[in-house]
Amino acid sequence: MAATIVNPLREGLRLSRTPEPSTIVIFGGSGDLVQRKLMPALYNLALQRLLPGSFSVVGAARQPLTDDQFREELHRAVGEHSRTKPINEEVWKSFADHVFFIATPDERGYDQLSRRLDQLDTELGTNANRLFYLATPPGAYEPIVKAIGAHGLRGRTGWARIVVEKPFGHDRESARALTELIHQVFREDEVFRIDHYLGKETVQNILVMRFANGIFEPLWNRQYVDHVQITVAETIGVEERAGYYEQAGAMRDIVQNHLLQLLALVAMEPPAAFDDKAVRDEKVKVLRALRAIADGDVARSAVRGQYASGFIEGAAVHGYREEPGIAPASRTETYVALRSFVDNWRWEGTPFYMRTGKRLPKRSTEIAIQFRVAPHQLFSREASEGLDPNALVLRIQPDEGVSLKFGAKVPVQGIRIRSVNMDFDYGASFMVDAPDAYETLILDALRGDATLFTRRDEVDQQWAFVDPIIAAWAASPGPPALYEAGTWGPAEAEALIERDGREWRKA
Amino acid sequence: MIDVDTSFWGARADGIAALERELARLRRAQSAHAREQGRTVARAAVLNLIVYADREPHARRAAQSISDLARRHPSRAIVLLADRRAREGADARIEMHCHLPTVDGAAKQVCYEQILVRARGDSDDRLASAVIPLLVPDLPVFLWWTGNPPTDGRIFGQLLRLADRLIVDSADFARPHETLGELADVCEQARGRFGVTDLNWTRLTPWRECVTSFFDVPAWRPFLDKITGVRVGYAVDMDGRDSNPSQALLLIAWLASRLGWRPLHAIAPSEAGGLLFSIERADKARIMVRARPRFERGLEDGDVSGVRIQADRSGERAEFVVKRQPDPRHQTETVLVDGRVRWERIAPLPSPAIVELIGEELAILGSDRIYEEALRTLVRLA
Repeated sequence: MAATIVNPLREGLRLSRTPEPSTIVIFGGSGDLVQRKLMPALYNLALQRLLPGSFSVVGAARQPLTDDQFREELHRAVGEHSRTKPINEEVWKSFADHVFFIATPDERGYDQLSRRLDQLDTELGTNANRLFYLATPPGAYEPIVKAIGAHGLRGRTGWARIVVEKPFGHDRESARALTELIHQVFREDEVFRIDHYLGKETVQNILVMRFANGIFEPLWNRQYVDHVQITVAETIGVEERAGYYEQAGAMRDIVQNHLLQLLALVAMEPPAAFDDKAVRDEKVKVLRALRAIADGDVARSAVRGQYASGFIEGAAVHGYREEPGIAPASRTETYVALRSFVDNWRWEGTPFYMRTGKRLPKRSTEIAIQFRVAPHQLFSREASEGLDPNALVLRIQPDEGVSLKFGAKVPVQGIRIRSVNMDFDYGASFMVDAPDAYETLILDALRGDATLFTRRDEVDQQWAFVDPIIAAWAASPGPPALYEAGTWGPAEAEALIERDGREWRKA
Repeated sequence: MIDVDTSFWGARADGIAALERELARLRRAQSAHAREQGRTVARAAVLNLIVYADREPHARRAAQSISDLARRHPSRAIVLLADRRAREGADARIEMHCHLPTVDGAAKQVCYEQILVRARGDSDDRLASAVIPLLVPDLPVFLWWTGNPPTDGRIFGQLLRLADRLIVDSADFARPHETLGELADVCEQARGRFGVTDLNWTRLTPWRECVTSFFDVPAWRPFLDKITGVRVGYAVDMDGRDSNPSQALLLIAWLASRLGWRPLHAIAPSEAGGLLFSIERADKARIMVRARPRFERGLEDGDVSGVRIQADRSGERAEFVVKRQPDPRHQTETVLVDGRVRWERIAPLPSPAIVELIGEELAILGSDRIYEEALRTLVRLA
């Protein structure tokens, strides 16, 4: 980080470290991601006065646009997608004064971009601090990164960072190649790979739950935990993402990044500090210890499914193969269930069940820690009929919160036990509008805090886990098992967990 | 004697045990619906809040604010209404009422319990004894004192002993300078046992933030050590009667304490009114700092309306200006160098509603060292 003189007025204010004056350069102009996520996030940061005093946005894309056209498009997008409405026109206007657009169809365009950035530095005193944001389809990464290097866009003084969106590669090989490409221009500590799940308040809350409290961690191991279930359930189908999704499938779309992130956070050892190095070191260790589902086990420990037609919230929906843009004989999986183990001292022998799918009956992301039953059954069988094992459930979305399930006596004569849920509702306890994940992550990137971003070795381990499963599926002759839309996945997924004498939670 | 409005404060209960029974009954009633859906209802509370008021409208306004915050800060609020004027003819006695206002969208949880403790006559001796058993165990206690805190009063001392944090509002102080001085003494005595918050200081946060952000820019940071003058404007009503300059004074004192300035003396107010101070910079240079009353529409009495900081450095003269827009929801931040505008932006100015201020303060438990330092400097200002 560039050395700056301390500002003595900063002490005691909400943000002890605000981003330094800087420029964000968005490649991808006014594409979908910019309109839906990036711009609304930047605008809301401006609205909360979290952006540095001197800050500018430069959009870059192939097609020509004037500054005013670009601003107009963004204005419309923010009006539609911002979490705060209506748009505060005065703030927008003042913000938009520092929004610019440069067309970069060729080398000349990049030279122009370079000059514009230098000019902004002089005008605004931004000291050539620049955050480059790749908001383009992955196919465009290479020429852009090369151009950043070739045209000296990094600037001579100040810091330079680059934010890369998922998908980060489509397998281990391509992810490594991409990292290598970026490393031609940026050091690893300047690379911010976004997994927006990590920007969610409730995901960060997993770490707080585990490591700010003294009562959970002692139970957080094989001795007390029977198994762990991680669910990422969506009700939506493939929507407009057919082109991408056909190539990716649920494994690349959700498991490789979001699901494995959740697994890492829930299974990791306590880091020595809450900083980017310590936290990510521990996460990588978990991923390394995650038992590979090798060739022979795939049939037993991994299930893929694809949704057929059915009903979601009372409405009839198409099957995956009938969706527009999907091949009629597509073998792309829209559902994945996995059973694996974290082979280390803490988790030896404790199964981790993971599932994700589209067109499931309910939108729900949660992590359930299922505890072992009490060692000695004191109460009669009929008294404990309504008793389930204790479970601690971390609900990520919606209804963010934590529930603890335990047994309580039903108030009648004699003993009868029922399971009750003690709910902590995150939203109701701190009824602040949680910031959008992108706001958190952009602000972190501007401040240079990489804790919530994915490091190269993490990505590498994630692919190392999913690649063999994808390969085995590709090699097997059969298609994915079909499941009716609006159900909890194919029967094979039930079988996967029932073989162990357990069952999926009703999420 | 007039009774309180039971539709707002709830039914009267005789004694603590009856009150707790009534609360339990209300909780059950409120959760009946949720239980039909097979859910267990939780009672959420993260803090105890004691409100002291000596007028019913004040008590009511405070209770309303806390109730509005219930989803953000689930709490048990114990509102003390000390009706001192009812001294004559009546014995000192204490009455209690309780109420569980429904909170929108929080059907699964009971998150706000409101208890009114109404003391008639001279009840300073006994009030604390009614409060202690009502506190939810093991949760932090906030004491919100509306009006002037009688820092040497018996009841103030007793309640403060229960509190982890004292909340006052210096905008309501009748004699701000005097009371702020007493408050500085209270901070001194607190020594980490409890924190002190002034809502008027919370109102300054956006001002502090934007003054600060000027000097985050490396090119402008050096001017911070070379300030030659500061002007802070604050609102007064149309006839310009002497109003409450606490907010402006706190802003000046904050700058002084952060930058190591030493207040020398106050100079008699100029014709334009307001306050003028002679101050010595960290490098011993002397500068003038002025707080100026101005009439401005849409502002509460005493609210800061603008800040202008001048600085000279190697022949360059810079001005850093923050001004409220004509609509009080926005402010303009401008940097001028040698009279030319170098940079400008418009930022939203958060609503200074009391609910928002309290909400912000309830999120913080520790004491605010920066405030306490500013307060100490302020005492030396005049």
